[in-house]
Amino acid sequence: MQYPDVFNQEISLNKAVHIYFPQAIPLVAYIDESCLYLKENKCQICVGVCKNNAIDLKQAPVTKDLNVGAVILAAGFEPYDPKVRAEYHYGEFQNVITSMDFERLLSSTGPYSGEILRTSDKKHPHKLAWIQCVGSRQVIEGGNSYCSAVCCTYAQKHVILTKDHDADAECTIFHNDIRSYGKDFERFYDRTNNLPGVRFIRSYTSIVKEDPVTKNVTIRYSTPDDGVKEEEFDMVVLSIGLNPPVGAQETAQKFGIELTAHQYCKLNPANPMETNRRGIFVSGGFQGPIDIPESVFSASGAGSQIGELLDYRRGKLSIERVYPEERDVSAEEPRIGVFVCHCGANIGRVVNVPDTVEYCKTLPYVVHAQEQLFSCATNSAKEITDVTKEKGLNRVVVAACSLRTLEPLFRDTVREAGINQYYFEMPNIREHNSWVHSKEKEVATEKARDLIRMGVARACSLEALQEFELPVNKAALVVGGGVAGMSCSLSIANQGHEVYLLEKDSDLGGITRRVHSTLDGMDVQEYLQDLKRKIYQHPLIHVYTNAVITDATGYVGNFVTTVKSSRGVAEIKHGAAVIAIGADLSTPDEYLYGEDDRVMTHLELEERIHAGDEKVANAESVVMIQCVGCRNEDRNYCSRICCSESIKNALKLKEINPEMDIYILFRDVRTYGLKEDYYREAASKDIRFIRYEENDKPVVEPGESDEGKPVLKVTVTDFVLGNKIELDADVLALAAAIVPSEETNKLAGQFKVVLSPDGFFKEAHVKLRPVEFNTEGVYLCGLAHYPKFLQETINQAYGAAGRVLTLLSHDIVIASGSVCQVDEKKCMGCGACASVCTYGSLAVQETRQGKKVTVNPVLCKGCGLCNAKCPTGAIQLKHFTDDQITSQIDAMVAE
Amino acid sequence: MGEEQLLQEKIQQICASPGASNFGDVLVVGGGISGIQAALDLATAGFKVYMVEKAPSIGGHMAQLDKTFPTNDCSM
Amino acid sequence: MCSGRVDMAHVLRAFSKGMDGVFIGGCHFNDCNYSTGGNYHALNMTLLTKKIMEHIGLNPERLRMRVMSGSEGNLYAEHVNDFNKKIKEIGPFAVSEGIDKEELISRVEKVLKLVPYIKVMMNEKLRVPQVNPEDPEECDKYFTSEEIDKLFNEKISYYIEPDKCQACMTCARRCPVGAVISAKGQVHVIDQEKCIRCGNCIAGCPPRFSAIKKIEAGEPVPPPLPEGERTVVRKGKEKAEVS
Repeated sequence: MQYPDVFNQEISLNKAVHIYFPQAIPLVAYIDESCLYLKENKCQICVGVCKNNAIDLKQAPVTKDLNVGAVILAAGFEPYDPKVRAEYHYGEFQNVITSMDFERLLSSTGPYSGEILRTSDKKHPHKLAWIQCVGSRQVIEGGNSYCSAVCCTYAQKHVILTKDHDADAECTIFHNDIRSYGKDFERFYDRTNNLPGVRFIRSYTSIVKEDPVTKNVTIRYSTPDDGVKEEEFDMVVLSIGLNPPVGAQETAQKFGIELTAHQYCKLNPANPMETNRRGIFVSGGFQGPIDIPESVFSASGAGSQIGELLDYRRGKLSIERVYPEERDVSAEEPRIGVFVCHCGANIGRVVNVPDTVEYCKTLPYVVHAQEQLFSCATNSAKEITDVTKEKGLNRVVVAACSLRTLEPLFRDTVREAGINQYYFEMPNIREHNSWVHSKEKEVATEKARDLIRMGVARACSLEALQEFELPVNKAALVVGGGVAGMSCSLSIANQGHEVYLLEKDSDLGGITRRVHSTLDGMDVQEYLQDLKRKIYQHPLIHVYTNAVITDATGYVGNFVTTVKSSRGVAEIKHGAAVIAIGADLSTPDEYLYGEDDRVMTHLELEERIHAGDEKVANAESVVMIQCVGCRNEDRNYCSRICCSESIKNALKLKEINPEMDIYILFRDVRTYGLKEDYYREAASKDIRFIRYEENDKPVVEPGESDEGKPVLKVTVTDFVLGNKIELDADVLALAAAIVPSEETNKLAGQFKVVLSPDGFFKEAHVKLRPVEFNTEGVYLCGLAHYPKFLQETINQAYGAAGRVLTLLSHDIVIASGSVCQVDEKKCMGCGACASVCTYGSLAVQETRQGKKVTVNPVLCKGCGLCNAKCPTGAIQLKHFTDDQITSQIDAMVAE
Repeated sequence: MGEEQLLQEKIQQICASPGASNFGDVLVVGGGISGIQAALDLATAGFKVYMVEKAPSIGGHMAQLDKTFPTNDCSM
Repeated sequence: MCSGRVDMAHVLRAFSKGMDGVFIGGCHFNDCNYSTGGNYHALNMTLLTKKIMEHIGLNPERLRMRVMSGSEGNLYAEHVNDFNKKIKEIGPFAVSEGIDKEELISRVEKVLKLVPYIKVMMNEKLRVPQVNPEDPEECDKYFTSEEIDKLFNEKISYYIEPDKCQACMTCARRCPVGAVISAKGQVHVIDQEKCIRCGNCIAGCPPRFSAIKKIEAGEPVPPPLPEGERTVVRKGKEKAEVS
């Protein structure tokens, strides 16, 4: 009996007993509700089959009481269900699928092993369409009024991946504004748009019919040139939006928290991780429709605030891992144990594992070989530990999957057996073998032998390595005294750490000093004053104004930064550094900016509205031009906040004078997420939005109105009507680009961190490590990372603080033992190694025996460039020495 | 100061008492990417964390994704 | 570990075992996991090794480098399949080259021994990431055949002049590969087979002796003194100092 597999979006079938998905954690089989016994009290075959008596069909749910000091609600989101709107024909037309379905089709662990196939005939679709905003930006029954923030870019990802599968595929995206508001999104959009056979069409659509024979789907849409058209597609993907998590109301009731009208958690604008109940925090999708990086740093941020709350009991309940004492086996002859993993059927169904095990037993120094169903399962790992102890093994080889994910686990397993963790080798017979040779079983078995033989050869020459325990200086340095730097400092200091906060200006506040309100009505200046007061009053925060960093040295846990400031010159020792230097507003060089005082930036307009400037308040007509100085060749990115900033200003102006004519000239309105509601409000208040294109920009000239009043004449092409229109403006506001701070390059050099193509700081991983650098001990938040809203900045600042605490809450930090070492005798002092080491880990020094290289292992990241450059082999990357690699190469041909 | 000592004693008392295995610092509701990150950070920073997840595996919706934009990295 | 860790010696080692092809996979250029740009180093090494392969009659197409990201499994498979196809087209090691297998292996082994020397001579060019990896022509021209001919045929040598050597052992201590045969009171001799031509000996020899001579390419290296005739002839002045 097979049932629809929920993980695969019910496209494929699965049995009642199954593993949720191949990389599931925990990776154990479970029985779902489709079980015949659970439904109809029959079958029970599985109970008899299971040799370990692991199946208990009578298991009943148990209720457990947990006593905790704080709660994080990270309930996520729920994909929008298009079945609630019949016009999408989802579930009715076979080849209309959702974007989540499409994700599973693309995945190699998906229903068709990564093949994109149509539901109706299991054939490859050639002509595909994506319909955007399904369930989003709709004020209709069953829809959400907000923008789901992720669909534009994920649809582009789908197109790129579809074209990877089939270069000739024709892909069409029907959209209403492309919202490439995130970091590197604009380039991603360009990349998609430039692929052959890809069309972006700005149009509302309707799904008209399904061909009864071919099951192709017809879409009706319209273009300014051709009017209403119908076109047939092989497959239609609905870009479904994000809904609040299932059971949001129930959760809210249980935890006593408030929800918004959209059923997301109600947030404190000044602290978006906080709920209305103290001690209960929220992160991720339950905050609202947000992307993965925001989900990650809001989680770290919520964690940091819990750290503030529960600092007094930190470490009280945590258990220190104690490992058995390490046995010195360096003088022993190798005694190798090989464990060959079936990985369920992943390896076992392709590679003949029992034969492979027998083969392993014939290899030199192998004293034990066995198979395991899942080597990574808790019981299997324990078995490895036990066998290692029992048989006195001094090397362990696990032939399984990629070491990228499981090497840490097995190293731990080996440590548990009292062996140095570097006596472990992991040939990959899954990704590199069974997955790619699934149809060539014999060859795959042969290759598994080769890979294991090489692994065993390398294992023989492995050496015990000691990891470095570096002391951690408990203080943090925060560079930049804007909202990001201040929020981050405050959270770190509230957890008992000394913070040195550097600000290049004479006052704290950064660019937020120029912002007066947010769209949701927060008084920004009041918030800012309060924050500044908290900073100045905090006994652990030391503020350095007019600060310039003259020198930065050291490494994770042990940085030394020299600062010139109003306090004189200081040498600051700190364990972590946070870069929060913000960004600048560009100065426009077009549209008469700087030549005519009626032309100003959007931020200047906000300041003048707030100051009650009469020229602005009495204006009859205001024109705003978006995307000034960005989304162009020089700055190929979107400044993210400007659409909302202009709408905020427009709404303020309408409050002052509802009769004022306001025009916003835009390229795409990017009021992503919950900001969409304000866009709708603006439109309803008769604020006019006129779209222009990059190659047909508005033209601004001084002129006179029909009544003879001096005005700015703004001429723009209206794409809907197809003609030129002339607007008279008393005030012209330009949405000027946000650009990286001038200090960016200098600071990047000082802290040895890197920049993204657009010149902002580049995080370690765009999704999973959004507030830290690859350079250990250095963190990132605020506009220095990319333009963003105040609320996002606060989330991110706390997120950075949370990550900083994962370092500063420890007394030591462990550095890898796989670093380079120099045999001085062989070193000829040529410096070839030092010249390629960008980490500054190597230095040529004069000795009595001439020039020699010395290593600072703490700075070494183990890339091994030096090793390849050294003519004499004097410098060796430990764990990847020439001997170890050569033994592997030699073993490759041993048969 | 005295209050803090009192609290610490109280915590230790609770820890030592029977049934203390259900005593923790933080409860994380949801085992998706956000919950995982929060739990990892808190545990690393010295807190005992309980995580509850309704599905048979942690990972949430991100585990269902094939790749992530804009780098098209694997989401696993 | 980075693709820049791949040593020319590793590649040649595989060929010396009669492997039909070697494939190097690295990260995309300008998207370095380590921020060191090591993949450019791997590229330079590959380009040089290809020219050397050509020089010894080994088909350079047997070596290939391609770049991909950790998430591009499909691309990786595509590259490997493509390379596999190419190697099958070329045929087995030595056979398609029309050279006796043992002979070709011995040629590879000879180069393998010279790797330290090659690195000394080519370090500067191996290091600098200045080739545009997208431009095959530029890549091909980065190292020229003439350059390689010169590298192999015009080796300079270092020679210790027996009448000047005072057996102070400095050069022996400075030699990174143990190529200086030395003993107390015995004139030192450079083992030309072992020597990697790094010049450390000449830099280390005390100026008052200046016993080491650089011999330009093409000129013969005088034979070493026979063992047993190497006792140092002390110069009057230094005599007291040394004894």
